[in-house]
Amino acid sequence: MLHIYRIRGHSLEPEYQPGDFVIASKIPFFFHTPKTGEVVIFAHAEYGLLIKHIQSVDTTTKQLTVMGTHPYSVDSRQLGAIALHQIIGKVLWHIHPKR
Amino acid sequence: MIYRFLNNIDRVLTVERVDAHCDIPCGIYDPIIAQIAALTVVRMIDLMTDLDNKGGDKNKEYINSMSRYVAIKEEHAEKAKAEVRVIWGDFLKAQHLEKYPNTHALVHQIMQLGSKTRQTADREIALQLVDAINQFAEIFWGAKNIPTKRALAPYAPHLELVYPVL
Repeated sequence: MLHIYRIRGHSLEPEYQPGDFVIASKIPFFFHTPKTGEVVIFAHAEYGLLIKHIQSVDTTTKQLTVMGTHPYSVDSRQLGAIALHQIIGKVLWHIHPKR
Repeated sequence: MIYRFLNNIDRVLTVERVDAHCDIPCGIYDPIIAQIAALTVVRMIDLMTDLDNKGGDKNKEYINSMSRYVAIKEEHAEKAKAEVRVIWGDFLKAQHLEKYPNTHALVHQIMQLGSKTRQTADREIALQLVDAINQFAEIFWGAKNIPTKRALAPYAPHLELVYPVL
């Protein structure tokens, strides 16, 4: 129900940095569909397990687009639309060292 | 405190990784870094040989120069391996590997040769490393549909390198 992950890569900097931990769960999405701005973990066929901000949600096609916060992040231009069933969880807790 | 606790857990159990994938530096790939690093390994071996052939005392000047050559050789052998790993892991996709089915074996060979050039001062092995990375460069540029040519590097040790024809 709750999963813990450690971040690799820089696309969500400065908020999320490599080495930070996040705890994510799919439970919130049993009660509401993903919303713009939420940070989610999802599985991508080419890139593997990814963490991104939701950029937009299309409830009709049940697809969403994602983006990083870093200007050079791989985003929906490369990733394509993400189907809702690819979402593994919403980030509920962000644990990082003191900054 | 929680972070430290999780960090300790990660050391023992290895927490699953999630990628905040970013195109820095992944948007810029070029095997020339690995090629030059491999060339540097050959150059350092040549300099080590020259120094050895000079004869004379193995004094502190000798040890200082030889240590520097070895250190640079170590550094560049590792750099060559790292650069190849990045292109192999981040740039090359399934369709490229289908087109060049020998890629995995070649990358493994490069890793092995890179390690051997650190363990030894064998010029022949360093030349094999240059050759293998040249083959990898041909795969890389082929994956980008950019033709290549082979030309002698314009600096010592003047070995043949693969260059893109842009």
